[in-house]
Amino acid sequence: MMKADGVMRSYRGTALYCCFLALSLLLSSCTSGSGNRERGSAAKDTTLVIAMLGDADFLNPVIGASVTSSNISGLIYPSLLQSEFDTTTGLLNFLALEKQLRPSIGGKKPEAALAKTWKMSADHKSITYILRADAFWDDGKPIVSGDFSFTYRLYGNPLIASPRQQYLAELIGADKGSVDFDRAIETPDDTTLIFRFFKPVPEHLALFHTSLTPIPAHLWKGIKPEDLRSSPLNQKPVGAGPYRLQSWGKQQELVLASNRRSNLPKPGNIALINWRIVPDYTVRLAQLQTNAVDIVENIKPEDFPSLVKANPEIEIKSVGLRVYDYVGWSNIDQAVYHKTGKTVPHPLFGSPEVRRALTMAVDREAIIDGYLKEYGTLCNTDISPSLKWAYNRSITPHSYDPAAAVSLLGKQGWKPGPDGILQKNGRKFSFVLYTNSGNARRNYASVIIQQNLKAIGIDCRLDVQESNVFFENLQNRKLDAWMAGWSIGLEIDPLDVWGSDLKKSTFNFVGYRNPRIDEICELAKGKMVQTDARPYWLEYQDIIHRDQPVTFLYWIRETQGFSKRIGGEQLNISGTFYNIDDWTLTPSATHAP
Amino acid sequence: MLTYILKRLLLSVPLIFGVLTLTFFIIRLAPGDPAAFFIQPGVSPNVAEQIRAQYGLNDPLPVQYVKWLGNVLQGDFGRSFSRAQQPVFEVISEALPITVTIAALTLVANFTFGIIIGIISAVRQNSFLDRFLTVTALFFYSMPEFWFALMMIILFALKLQWFPASGLNEIGAESFGPFGFFLDRIWHLVLPVTVLSINGSAGIARYVRGSMLEVIRQDYIRTARAKGLPEKVVIFHHALRNALLPVITLIGSSLPFIFSGALFIEVIFAFPGMGRVTVEAIFARDYPLIIANTFISGTLIVLGNLLADVLYAVADPRIRL
Repeated sequence: MMKADGVMRSYRGTALYCCFLALSLLLSSCTSGSGNRERGSAAKDTTLVIAMLGDADFLNPVIGASVTSSNISGLIYPSLLQSEFDTTTGLLNFLALEKQLRPSIGGKKPEAALAKTWKMSADHKSITYILRADAFWDDGKPIVSGDFSFTYRLYGNPLIASPRQQYLAELIGADKGSVDFDRAIETPDDTTLIFRFFKPVPEHLALFHTSLTPIPAHLWKGIKPEDLRSSPLNQKPVGAGPYRLQSWGKQQELVLASNRRSNLPKPGNIALINWRIVPDYTVRLAQLQTNAVDIVENIKPEDFPSLVKANPEIEIKSVGLRVYDYVGWSNIDQAVYHKTGKTVPHPLFGSPEVRRALTMAVDREAIIDGYLKEYGTLCNTDISPSLKWAYNRSITPHSYDPAAAVSLLGKQGWKPGPDGILQKNGRKFSFVLYTNSGNARRNYASVIIQQNLKAIGIDCRLDVQESNVFFENLQNRKLDAWMAGWSIGLEIDPLDVWGSDLKKSTFNFVGYRNPRIDEICELAKGKMVQTDARPYWLEYQDIIHRDQPVTFLYWIRETQGFSKRIGGEQLNISGTFYNIDDWTLTPSATHAP
Repeated sequence: MLTYILKRLLLSVPLIFGVLTLTFFIIRLAPGDPAAFFIQPGVSPNVAEQIRAQYGLNDPLPVQYVKWLGNVLQGDFGRSFSRAQQPVFEVISEALPITVTIAALTLVANFTFGIIIGIISAVRQNSFLDRFLTVTALFFYSMPEFWFALMMIILFALKLQWFPASGLNEIGAESFGPFGFFLDRIWHLVLPVTVLSINGSAGIARYVRGSMLEVIRQDYIRTARAKGLPEKVVIFHHALRNALLPVITLIGSSLPFIFSGALFIEVIFAFPGMGRVTVEAIFARDYPLIIANTFISGTLIVLGNLLADVLYAVADPRIRL
């Protein structure tokens, strides 16, 4: 009797357990209604799967800020011009249907461009675009010049806080604080679009700054500026590009389906693009290795050999050079600057000779050989070797030479003390080198730097800070020495980082000041033909290399893992997905149904 | 008991409120700026200022607090800074069921395995099996869960390729039909739930073992054996029931651990649950989302503890609430 009772009870327990299991699973499966029904494992051959670190924020080019958002918006929305980065010169080229700034290297027809042609006025104070008449939004309405003037008002509205409002800096009124849109942008008819500037603007810059992406005015005009960010239209965008948003499961996956009706341009062979959000790096790697995804961006060099060995169907592609790491040495005494607003040289790093000695004491090649290998290049200044038209080839890099560094420091009065540490007027050459947490490359480099400096009698202690804290300290100019990096724009504009007016140049964290640099930058910007500014940029690099406001370490090639089933991709400095409409997917054994 | 529950619920209101107020001030005093992302070369310096104005961060702290208080009392926790201005409860309503699923499955697995292992160890005290289970349990108990998770991924997802490494479902799982979808979901949950529950069940096993050993030595167990009851009945009916009493309280108190465990499990396995929402909100200094998450997890923990106390009273008639 008792036994039977016990069995009954255990049955009841199991049944209860199963019900509970089923219920909770059902609960969670209810929430994942994202995705589409026509896909299955068989459909994988027409689906490109990209693993991303983070989700898109707004699928709206006016306010979208994350890289994922820009990549996706680029496929959904139309663009006024098509741009391409000319790898032979390092110049950015702009193409309309019937006109191009420079001869195109790819010879690709600029089908994505909404502009048929443009004309720059003789005084360089206005640019007139003629738009094509056969372009339509997804809802069938034509794309007209009014869409541009409407969207530019949104870009410039302070209530909207668009991260791209800097592009409007040359429009009429911008010099007085706010753009006078009635005068700055004119639309005499649906296919004519005129931008007016308050000063002469070089053609390439005018094209760059007037080709911001439009959104459909007829859908957005009823929305108040203060409600723009919370509008549901940001999550269900209406565009005109080769892809349309099919589904978006927040923080899970975002699916784009090819838009067969689009002629801006016609979509390629890939029917679906699935962006999967996989926050953990190790897991992204594992997914690439097991063919669960096709593309993983920013793979660390130390993972290449095992990845390619484990799965020969993967290849590593690299683009660059846009990103560099540096060691920042505070040029000025930050404490005095904060207290009095005066700039006096920093007691340790104040002189260019000392900073040069520090650069010579660091074995930069060893860091490249040990970590980045062929994906790193010695960095001399912040003008990338990829910008060939402006790059100064005649600069000889400061070579690794500890003996020369010691003698240079000796001439500056830094002599070894009784404990072997350099001293000057009773002050030891001792400091803390800060960097942000979670960056394996910088951790690797900082240890080498510490050893190199120790070898010449400099006491360098390492400290890692949480990224938010680190960035705030940098901005408030609270650190004396740190390691960080910059990603450069394709237009050279270094005043933000080196300008002498420390209040205006908020990114001049080191407090570097050289009036000639300010002068050169203004002179270069004033040239109406971009390449005419070359002599100024050459001189600029000579000065920066001599003054060493920071120790430039290395340029980094950004590395992406690609499945070999993708064909036709051309990675470009302007973006991984730059020619996605030309890509093809080859069915592979692992992906066959 | 009903009065007791009501009293506890009423008391928990100021408690949760106090936690929220503390969180409000701590996150605002912590270094970091929700608009920091917009401070970069090439972006107008006005943008960060405009964004701060939009978020109401330019007001003095007391003013911000009063405004926040007014909104919260009306049930409005605001919109997320980092997630495209989505209302925070919308973000949470998408994330919570996923975490609750993981937590519920883990809780069940924890106690099922923990109790079974604990009983075996106690009944076969000092045998080889007991030592083996004890050592294994301690081994897993002392292992960092994130490391264990990565090892499991390397073994089962990379080398053996038995289970997927991330996500809640395969790509295109919707076409498998409801049952296929359900199985696919289970298949994806095996690794994370295993990782989370192995650690927890090891702890519970130690607890059950100790409690069982204490009970087995009692006089009434000897009496039960003396009157000729089968060993199974003695262990499961007489000993286990009493031994489980202290274990019941663990249900409530293990909830916070399971929730914090879910935090990194979700990041590692790419589940869009509460853990990931919280971690990302903290890194992005997304104040409204951090506070709403604190509210939800605080409430769940308070309720979990209440549940444990009530269960205790239900299981043991000697305890009066």
